[in-house]
Parts: sequence; C-alpha cells; structure tokens
Amino acid sequence: MTYFHFDIGERARHAGRFIGRVRGELLRALSERKSEIGFSQQGLAQKLDTERALINRQLSGEANLTLRSLADLAWAMDMEISFELKKPHPEAGQNQPMTTSTVGYGQIKYINGAAKRVSMLAVPANSELGQSKKSA
Amino acid sequence: MTTIEELVEANVISRIQVEMHPRDQGLRLLYGTPDFIAWLGELAKGSGPERRLGEATAAEQVDDLFNTFLSGQPLVYMKQFRSIRAEKNAVWELKTPDVRIFGWFLKKDCFVGVFGNWADVIKDHDLYRGYRIAIRRMRRELGVDETLCVQGVTPGDVLSL
Repeated sequence: MTYFHFDIGERARHAGRFIGRVRGELLRALSERKSEIGFSQQGLAQKLDTERALINRQLSGEANLTLRSLADLAWAMDMEISFELKKPHPEAGQNQPMTTSTVGYGQIKYINGAAKRVSMLAVPANSELGQSKKSA
Repeated sequence: MTTIEELVEANVISRIQVEMHPRDQGLRLLYGTPDFIAWLGELAKGSGPERRLGEATAAEQVDDLFNTFLSGQPLVYMKQFRSIRAEKNAVWELKTPDVRIFGWFLKKDCFVGVFGNWADVIKDHDLYRGYRIAIRRMRRELGVDETLCVQGVTPGDVLSL
C-alpha cells in the first residue's frame, strides 16, 4: 500500500505540537469555564481590559502568545498553570518503535528518539490538583 | 461499488501519515489526492504564505493538525474543521491559522484532502466556491457521491468527538 509520510523534522514537530497543545489547553479551559459559569471570550476581554478580537486571535493561533499573555489568560479564567520539563521515559502500555532489522546482527537496540518534553496543564486554581501543586 | 481500497489501488488517493508519539495510536484515517500530496511535499520543504499569522510555521501547523486528527484527539469545530456549506454530501475544510485544506469525509473519521492553500489567498480570491464545485465534480466522476461520502453536516456526523 502506498502512503505519504508528512515529515517536517523532529525539531519543527516538537515546536509545532507544543504550540498547538498550549492553545488547545486554553480552548479546553475556556470551554470548561463557559459550561460551568458561562464565562466567554467577551468575559475574558473585559477582565483583561482588552478587545475580544485580540483574545479570539490569540486563542485561534492568529496572534502570538507571550508568557505574560498566557499567564494573564489563565488568571482571567481562574486557572493555574502547571509547567515542568522532564526527560522522556516509556510509559506502561505505549508502543515501542522498532528501529533495527529483525534479521538480527547482534542484539536488537531500542532507540528512544524523543527529546525533552514540556508538559503544560491548566487546572482550576482551587482544584485538588492545584492545591497539591501549590503545597509541593 | 467503489471501495477505499480500490481508490488507493488505482492511485486516486494515498494514505497520509505523520510521526506519532509512541503512546498514541492511529484512531482516524487521512488520505490525499496526488495533487494534494504534491502540495504537502512542497509544504514540508518549507513553502509558506507571504505573511504568516501563526506562531508556528505553516508546516508545523499542518503537522500538529494531522497529529491531532489521526490520534483521535478532539478538534474544535469552526476553528479546526467545518463544512463549507450545510448540504448533503458536504465539502469540508480542515483549518490552521494560515492553512486551509479542502476535501470530504469518505466515512466517519476518514478524511481525504483534495486542495491545500494559504488562508489569506483563499480569502482574498474567494476560492471557497471554486474548491467546493471542483470537489463535488471529482466525487461525481469517481462515482462515490452516495457510497463514499458522509451525508450529515453536524460535527458528530464526521468525527467521533
């Protein structure tokens, strides 16, 4: 079966997916807040004393996010940012990519190509997770 | 009745894949026509719009979108996908800040890309109608309008959410 592998390189892949993940997390948090307390982009804009169009562009990825604007958005949604850098490690049940021939010249090697990962998760500031992070 | 396998066999469409995290599993399917795949090839080599809106490059945006799609993660309706017009056998659009991809859902969770272009070019030249008509014609010529095309237009009709 023919297939096309869309490969942009590991560095670009990490950058693009991290940026996408941060925006996805913001959208998810806003959606959660909207269903909980009816908080909207308009509400965010009012709380941050800015225009709704800018909030919309930031959330849709059409305007850059700075660390400051990310912190402001989280604050306005009453969410806490959890951020850590950690070494990648295999997780139970995950697939293990094979990188060597199975014909076998010596022992098969597993190469973990993933670089350092950044984990970012927005959690409500008053949640149990938020509390435990604070006390940690 | 034409099947997806027959379309692949005849080189009308080919499967598209991206590098996925070892913990992820492909839960959706993505295909492209030869022209669309040629466009993706240029994108991977670094082509992009004259003026970029997104923080990520156009290729990074598309890689992230494909990874999100293929690994079965939720896509945000209107921001990441939408139908061009609410109609039976709709043409659908996958979106990033700078890129638009037009095609249709062969089945639920199974998209085929036909055209890719920069968002600002599409808006400036109002290409939505042209792409929609071209894709509908292509489906008619392939004879898959009724068999390999999702009929509904709500997000839940095309994606497992």
